[in-house]
Formats: sequence, structure tokens, C-alpha cells
Amino acid sequence: MSKTNGKIRIGFYICHCGTNIAGTVDVQKVVDYASTLPNVVVSKHYKYMCSDPGQEMIQKDIKEQELNRVVVAACSPFLHERTFRNATSQAGLNQFYFQMVNTREQNAWVHLDPEASTDKAMDLVRSAISRVVFHKPLEQKTVPIKPDVLVVGGGIAGIHASLTLANAGKKVYLVERVPTIGGHMAMFDKTFPTLDCAACILTPKMSAVKNHPNITMWTYSEVEKVEGYVGNFKVKVKRKPRYIIDDLCVGCLDCIEACVYKEPRFHDEFNQGLSKRKPVYMPFPQATPQLVVIDPETCIWFKTGKCKQTCVESCERKAVDLNQQATYKEIEVGTIIVATGFKPFDASKVYYYGYGTYPNVYTALEVERLINASGPTSGEVIMRDGSTPKSIAIVHCVGSRDKNTNLWCSRVCCLYSLKLAHLLKEHTHADIYNFYIDIRTPGKLMDEFYTRMAEEGVKFIRGRVADIYPDTSDEEHRRLVVKAEDTLIREIIKVPVDMVVLSTGLVPRDDANDVRRLFNITCSTEGFFIERHPKLAPVNTFTDGIFLAGCCQGPKDIPDTVAQAGAAAAEALALIDLGYIELEPNTAFIVEEECSGCKSCVPLCPYSAISYNEEKKKANINEALCKGCGTCVASCPSGSIKQNLFEDEEIYSEIDGILNYNIYEEAVCC
Amino acid sequence: MIVELDAIRGVSLDTIYDSPEGKLIQTCIQCGTCSGSCPYGEYMEYPPRRIIKLLQHGLIEKAFDTDSMLKCVNCYACMMKCPREIHLTEVLLQLVKEQTVIKLPVVPAELQKALENNYRYGNPMGESGRKRANWVQTTTVPIRILSQNPEPVDVLWFVESYPAFHPRGQDTCRAIAKILNALGIDFAILGNEEKSAGECGLLSWESGLAEALVDYNMAIFSKYKFNRIITSDPHALDAFNFRYKMYGFKGSITHIVPFIMEHIDKLKPMIHKTLGYSVTYHDSCCLGRHNGYYEEPRALLKSIPGIKLIEMVHNRINTLCCGGGGGGMWLDTYFKSQNMERLSDRRIREAIDTGADVLAVACPYEIPRFEDALKVAGYDKKMVVKDIMELVSEAMEE
Ligand SMILES: Cc1cc2nc3c(=O)[nH]c(=O)nc-3n(C[C@H](O)[C@H](O)[C@H](O)COP(=O)(O)OP(=O)(O)OC[C@H]3O[C@@H](n4cnc5c(N)ncnc54)[C@H](O)[C@@H]3O)c2cc1C
Ligand code: SF4
Ligand code: SF4
Ligand code: SF4
Ligand code: SF4
Repeated sequence: MSKTNGKIRIGFYICHCGTNIAGTVDVQKVVDYASTLPNVVVSKHYKYMCSDPGQEMIQKDIKEQELNRVVVAACSPFLHERTFRNATSQAGLNQFYFQMVNTREQNAWVHLDPEASTDKAMDLVRSAISRVVFHKPLEQKTVPIKPDVLVVGGGIAGIHASLTLANAGKKVYLVERVPTIGGHMAMFDKTFPTLDCAACILTPKMSAVKNHPNITMWTYSEVEKVEGYVGNFKVKVKRKPRYIIDDLCVGCLDCIEACVYKEPRFHDEFNQGLSKRKPVYMPFPQATPQLVVIDPETCIWFKTGKCKQTCVESCERKAVDLNQQATYKEIEVGTIIVATGFKPFDASKVYYYGYGTYPNVYTALEVERLINASGPTSGEVIMRDGSTPKSIAIVHCVGSRDKNTNLWCSRVCCLYSLKLAHLLKEHTHADIYNFYIDIRTPGKLMDEFYTRMAEEGVKFIRGRVADIYPDTSDEEHRRLVVKAEDTLIREIIKVPVDMVVLSTGLVPRDDANDVRRLFNITCSTEGFFIERHPKLAPVNTFTDGIFLAGCCQGPKDIPDTVAQAGAAAAEALALIDLGYIELEPNTAFIVEEECSGCKSCVPLCPYSAISYNEEKKKANINEALCKGCGTCVASCPSGSIKQNLFEDEEIYSEIDGILNYNIYEEAVCC
Repeated sequence: MIVELDAIRGVSLDTIYDSPEGKLIQTCIQCGTCSGSCPYGEYMEYPPRRIIKLLQHGLIEKAFDTDSMLKCVNCYACMMKCPREIHLTEVLLQLVKEQTVIKLPVVPAELQKALENNYRYGNPMGESGRKRANWVQTTTVPIRILSQNPEPVDVLWFVESYPAFHPRGQDTCRAIAKILNALGIDFAILGNEEKSAGECGLLSWESGLAEALVDYNMAIFSKYKFNRIITSDPHALDAFNFRYKMYGFKGSITHIVPFIMEHIDKLKPMIHKTLGYSVTYHDSCCLGRHNGYYEEPRALLKSIPGIKLIEMVHNRINTLCCGGGGGGMWLDTYFKSQNMERLSDRRIREAIDTGADVLAVACPYEIPRFEDALKVAGYDKKMVVKDIMELVSEAMEE
């Protein structure tokens, strides 16, 4: 004969978590107390509840003591709710008859007084024991995962993630905002620490993306809208008009030659403004796709409505279309990888370094272009004033590690400063002075690289540059004096140089907040997107099905970017290959008989999960769309919306429990 | 980045480690920006970076055996550029300076005299306190003195010692009086009741003297009803804004330049004359670097027709100190004896390099300092030093 006899039989367990909990909370006292509470038939403590013996203990009690409710006081549900739910269900009990009490993060870790902490544990336990009585058996629903993936951002992160997924046979949509993929890496000459040529290793991957049958690459495009949830995202992409018909243009550049502007006159974005381009241009020789683009901001036709349109005439293939309009694509994907990268710190913000004031003060990215064979000076280091530098100061940490600008270390600047020291020396034979606070060269082969630069005769001065100003002893004031304390020889030094290179840090893109909102992910106050867990879930976000790769998550070098992109692709693949995900059954539902049809809830749902049935005059909630936020539940004037796991009696009994009101003495099993 | 005043009230070198500032000290990364920014860094055995390291290790005594901190002219350069936002000038260096001066075998005579004068006469130059308001008789516009007419007033103008006594300072005062009057401001001064705000003592070493002056001026303030205080001296601005607040001062204080800028729409129609000068403006450390008024003085200058503004190489946050702050005003002889370059001489070369006709300033110390430096450079025929208020007043002439 069953022991339950229709009665509630609760098993209660508290975990020591080594000394994490038991060091503060008197677990024996909690166990003794719990055993006096109504309906509790088992009350135990154990060193590690999450261990196999811990779980087996619960399962054994469920069977032998015929438990029909389980409460575990341990760490956070985030960490182990799933573990204990599984243990419960493997013993044959519906997993939602389980309730967890967080007595570590929200108790033992944050309190110093053991007595108060123990009292708090008892209050929380009483509350859970009181609530669990009303739990109902629920079924978890599954939803299928759509196999297609959206990758946002076509830097090295987005490129690598796309190729990994496409090679695994998945269909990928790669959306890139600017006219070409490649990101920052495409601008570099060589890459540290091995000094391999950036283009040589990047461009093959760029053309692989372009030619891959599984990749749809949309450049000059932006994601406008994202709806849905993991497995089932609906995405709207805007394709900005290039004024060039993709399928017809072969990249012959005739139109550029023919443009009414005989000379290039406008800021060339790719070359950091060190050269000029025409309104119709190809961003750089290996741009992918090999399509020109017409920039309406500078094209005279768009500005004045008047132009001979020599570009249109010149194109034999009739590829120039000045009437082109934006088009919109709607796609359905199951997972999304956000790889929107970074922006270099605006060097003019450190006013006393003179960027923008003195022409021979350069940013590192500008120098990358200057030494690049396909750059504005074909790889010759010719400064804005036409001369070649004989002495160069490279200033580390510009905009980094500084409370006045950004607190973080940008991780790559020390290394790229070493790289630039080498390349500048190679190109100019100049004397090079690297001014640094600390040289940070972690990672494989990185410190070896530092040693090599020292051997090459680069001078290292330990001191943050305090001031940069023109040298008045030099007739033309062309030279710049770099002033700092050489903290190691303890002297204030003034080094006159021809050129200053500012190693600017990596900062989030200006629109990080918009992107965050668009994809419903989170970003830190400084604007880098936040991973779900800094150690154990580095590419996941708090939104299921959306992953991060590359510098949008924080500054990092190319090897780490690529590793992260691979990891993000693997996470997406894991979901796709499983094919479905289980949903938490905490969805809201409408008790139809009670719904008055007032429609108050319909517009409130942030996930558009509520529709109104005109025939029945009742509201209806789509379970698959509901995220369980509870907004509608609280809003319904007739109280006819309920939510699984949060039904009124569950919540009220939880409150009663914590306030030590009349706990249900003899509840009857439902 | 002005400190939480409560956090450092009453903090001394012994108790600093228990204060929030103590925690900040521990975050110093020894980058040397402070020493490199310091106009006298190369003359200090313990420039700011080393001072902080001594503090970190509890070895600050070592610094008292040298005169390093006596050479700090309170220019705020180190503090404003420090990547850890350590309150070097506001807090630490002053505490060290106080001990340095106490332990000096001999206090430089010029400085000793200025301190004594301040104590005795309420002004560093040793003028009779009864003559403080004499300049008022040389103006053509009415100026109300509160002791004679104690009715409530909107704006209390704290004149300060240099403007009140120095002939060139008085020129600025007359200009200010004229402008305030033209703008219809309801203003008054304290007259002979006023004593030096005590910034030189506050920001240098003599906390005893400083406190006496603070108590005195606060007591005078409490006698009268006014809405706000204005002053043309950025050092007084600093004293009231920062130090006096630690002693409970609650009033609002504005420098004359931002104050006039509040009334610029009313002022503009009164500016009749075109001044065909090319002007370079020197950012005072206290007004610019410490209180953030970089653009207001420039905007005021640009509102005068005909003025062409040329920047010196070092401007705004990167300005070069004139050397008058932190007691430097009375240490020129001492610094010279140490073979140290006078900072006003260094600064004037940059001013001269601009080729401007006028060096515009907004601090009363700077007029005599730069006029002298111009003479030394033999350039006093080609360039004149003017307070911005003098230029505005000139442009208001019919
Ligand atoms: C001067 C300098 C030198 C460097 N040198 C080296 C080196 O030698 N070796 C090394 O390992 N690392 C180096 N790095 C670091 C390297 O640049 C990064 O690790 C790498 O570029 C990161 O790639 P990413 O794809 O994350 O970002 P990015 O290169 O920034 O690419 C992001 C892409 O996303 C696009 N995008 C942005 N927002 C959107 C949006 N909302 N919608 C669609 N598309 C969007 C952008 O247009 C861009 O194409 C250097 C960095 C700098 C600043
Ligand atoms: S429309 Fe005119 S200006 Fe514009 S790209 Fe064509 S030729 Fe050049
Ligand atoms: S709980 Fe209600 S409001 Fe919230 S997502 Fe579900 S249906 Fe929408
Ligand atoms: S500038 Fe700031 S962080 Fe750098 S050495 Fe000076 S006090 Fe330390
Ligand atoms: S306040 Fe100015 S003078 Fe004093 S230590 Fe700092 S930089 Fe040097």
C-alpha cells in the first residue's frame, strides 16, 4: 500500500558546497528545522548535492520514501536547477515537482554573520517547502531549430564563422555594412607575431566566402529587424543601393575612369583619409565582392541632380543604375552570430598628443596603410609633409588604461606597436623609440617577438608620454618633441622625432547600443557585448541562439578572434544538429471561460505572443512565442491569465512561507 | 574629477591610507605622466611619480629631506593627465608640501614675508588693509561697498588682493566695474573688510594661516545677504570652490569670465569698437585645467570684432603654468638660486612665437609676471599683456 495515501511527501536536502555554504550556514540546524515543517518526510544535508552520490540519495529517497516533492537548498538555479530536475525525473517523478533554494550566492556568500545567515536559510527553505506543495506536473515542449545561420559583420571573425558553418553544410547569410568584407584585418600590411602578410592570408578566405555555394553574402547591407526566438528568428535585411547592378558589374573600373571628377577628391575611408577617392570607387584592389560603389554623399548627381553621368555612359555592360533603390530581404534563421568588431580609439581625445593638430602625428591604423604596398603611398613611408622620417616615436596605450578615456588594456596595441616598430624600421631605417607603461606580450610566440624587436635595436622607454609639441629649435618646426619621464633611469626626457605614431586602443563601435537592442543581447557600460559566462560560456549571450565572435565582445588579436569565431560556429552547429530545443514550460495561458475579451493584454506583450480571436471574443497566447515574462498575467483585469510555475497559489504560498504565515498543514496531493 | 570633499576632509599623511584617496594611491601604475607633465619635474629629486611610490610604501619621510615639493607650483598638470585620476595636486602634493616647508632649514625669505603679510594685513604684499578699497575712488562708475550700505545684493564681487592693490590689477578692476555697471548687474564689494582668500596658504603649506583667513572671510560673508560671489582671481575661485567648501562654505562662486558669458547677449550690442589685435590667450591653470573653463574666455575674446585669436603651442589642458601658483609668486628668487628657469619666461617664448600683439589673460598674477617676462625677453615693445576684461572694456568705448 502506498505510503503517500494522497498525501504530499517532501524530501528536503541542503548542500554544504564544501565550506561555501556550510562555512556560514549551520546546515544541521536547517535540516532539523526543515524536518519539523509540514509534509516534510526526509530532511538531510550532504557535502556535495550535485555529485553523483548526492543525486543518487535523492533518487533513492524518491523511490523508498515515496517522495512526491523535492526541495534542494544549494547554489543558484542558473548552475544546477537542471541537474536536480534531471535527478528528479530519472527517479520517475515529474521534474517540475522540484524546487530549488539559492542559499549560496544569495546567502552564504553575501553574509558574514552565521546566525543571521542560518535564519535566512531557514526562511527561504520554509518558503520553498510551502510553495512546492502546489507544483503541478508539466511537460516541456520542444521547438525545431531552423538550420540556416545569420552572421553579422564580415571581418575576420564573421568570415571564419561563416566558412566553418558553410563547410559543415549549413546555409549562411553574411551581412556586412560596408561595401566589402575583410574588416580591419584587410587594412594591415603584416600581422604579428609571425609577420605574415595580412592580405596573403586573408584574401583567400574572402574569396572562399564569395564563392561558397552555402554562403549568401550581402555587403553594403544592414540588419533592420529581428523577431522570434532561438531556432526561429525572422530577420529583415536592408540592402543599400550601390547604384551598380551586382550581376552585371565585372569590376572593370571603367566608370571610375570616366567619372566627371577627373581627380579623386574625397576622403578615402579604407586608407583612413590618407588618399582621395572619386564618388564612384572600389574600396581596395582585393575588395570582395569586386563591385564598385557610388557614394551618394559625394556624387554630384545625388547632390545637385545635375551631372553628365559619364559613369553610366562608360559602362558597356549597363551596370550603373543611378535610380537603384534599397531592397529588403526577409530570411528565417535558427541561430545568429554577431561579429561586428571594434573601432579604433579617437586619438584626438587625448588632446595633448596633438593628433589633428600636428600633421606628422599619425594613428597606428594610418601607419598600417602607409606601409602597405597597396596603400596611399604604395608602401613608402612618406609623411603628410612629403618627407620620410629618420626618427619615430611610437606611443603605447593611447586611450587605454586611462580613467579619463577607457580603463581597459586593449591587448593588441603593445604587439602591433612592436610590429610597426619593425616594419617602420625596415621601410625607413629610422631610429625608433617605443614609449610604454608596461609591455604586455602574452600568448604563443609573442614574447619571443618582443625579444626579436629588442635585438633589432628598437629603443624602449618606460614612461607614458606626457606631452608632444613642435620643436622650436628646428627652423621649420617640423620635428616634434616627445616628453616623458624615463621612469627607469629617473630622468625627464625630451626626444625630438620626425614622426609620432599613436597606438590607439580598441573601443566598441558607436552603434553598439543599437545593435544590442536589435539582437536583444547585453553590453557592458563601455559597450562591448557581454558573454553569458566569462569563463564557461565565452561565445554565448544571454539570449539563446545568439552568439558572439571577435572584438565586439572585447579587444583581442586575430588568433583569438578566429578561435572565438570557430567556437561560435560550433555552438550554432550544436543547436542545429540537435535539431530542437526544449522550452521552459513557464508560459502564460488564458483561462478562456474567465477572459472578458477586453484586449488589454494584447498590445502589452513584448514578444507579440497574444492574438485576439474575433469569433470567440477571447485573447489567445501562442505558447511558442511566449517568453514567460508575466507582463500580461499582471495586467489582466479579470485575472484570467495564468502562468505555469507562477500560478497564484504557488506565489502566495511562497510569500506566506517566507512571512511564516499559516503553512498548509495537511495538503492533499493533486 | 574634483574629489569628494567629505572623503578627504581632515585627512593627513598618517590617516590617508584609511581614506578613499589612500586606495587610489595604491592604483598608481608608475607611468610617469605626472613627472613628465610637471613644469619643474626635471628639477625635483622626487617628482610626483616618486612621491606616490614613497606614499605607497610608507616611506614618504624621505621626500621631506629634499625641497622637491616646494617646487610644485600647483599647476594641476600632473593631476589632470594622471591615468588613474589620483588627486595629486588637490590632496597629496599639498600634504607633502606642508611637511616639506615645516622641515625646511630656512623658509625662503620672500615667501616668509608674503605669509607674514597675509597674516598681519590680509594681503601678501603688506599693504595696509585700510587702503584696500582705495581703487574705488579712481573709477567713474558707482561701486557699492557693503559695510557702508549693507542692503541685500545680488552679486558679491570678491576683489582679492592683487586686483585691489597692484596698479595693473586695478586696471582690471576698473574694467570689471564698468562692464558690470553697463550690464545693470546689482553688485557690491566688501571693501576694506575683505581679506585675501588665502589660496596661497591653502594650496601650499600654511594650513594654520589658511584657516584663520577662511574663518575670517566666512564670518564676513555671513554678515551680508547676497546670491552669489564672483571674482576675477582664479585662485580665489579655487579656494572658495574647493577648500572653503571643506570648511562648510555653501555659497556659489563664479569666475568673472563665465559670469560675463552668461550675459553675452546683452553685452554684444554694447561692443562698438573694432580692436584690430591679434591675440593669444594664456589658460590659467586654476581657471582652465582645474575648473574646466577653456572655451568661455576664447568665446568672450571672439565676441570682440577685429580680434584674431592665435593659439600658443600649449593650450587648454596642456597649458604651461606661469609659475605663480602654490606660492610660486614668492619663490622666484629661490628658484633662481636653484638655477631653475622662471616659468613665465618659458611661457612668454611661446606667446612671442605666435607673433600676437596682445597676450590675453584671466588671472591677476599673470599680468605682472608676463609683463616682467616680456621685458626680460626684450619684447615688451611688441607685445602687451591684458586682462580679457580690459579688452572687453576697451571694445565698449564709443
Ligand atoms: C592598428 C591595429 C593593428 C593590428 N594588428 C594586428 C596584428 O598584426 N595581428 C593580430 O592578430 N591582430 C591585430 N590587430 C587586432 C585585429 O584588428 C583584430 O583582432 C581583428 O580585426 C578583429 O576582427 P573582427 O572581425 O572581430 O572585427 P573587425 O575587423 O572590426 O570587423 C568587423 C566587421 O563588421 C562590420 N560591421 C560592424 N557593425 C556592423 C553592423 N551593425 N552590421 C553589419 N556589419 C557590421 C564592419 O564593417 C567590419 O567589416 C590590430 C588592430 C589594430 C587597431
Ligand atoms: S553620376 Fe557623375 S559624379 Fe556620380 S559617379 Fe557618375 S559620373 Fe561620377
Ligand atoms: S507572458 Fe504574456 S506578455 Fe510575456 S511573453 Fe508571454 S504572452 Fe507575452
Ligand atoms: S600619472 Fe598617476 S598613475 Fe602615472 S605615475 Fe603619476 S600618479 Fe602614478
Ligand atoms: S601640480 Fe604642477 S607643479 Fe605641482 S607637481 Fe603637479 S605638475 Fe608639478
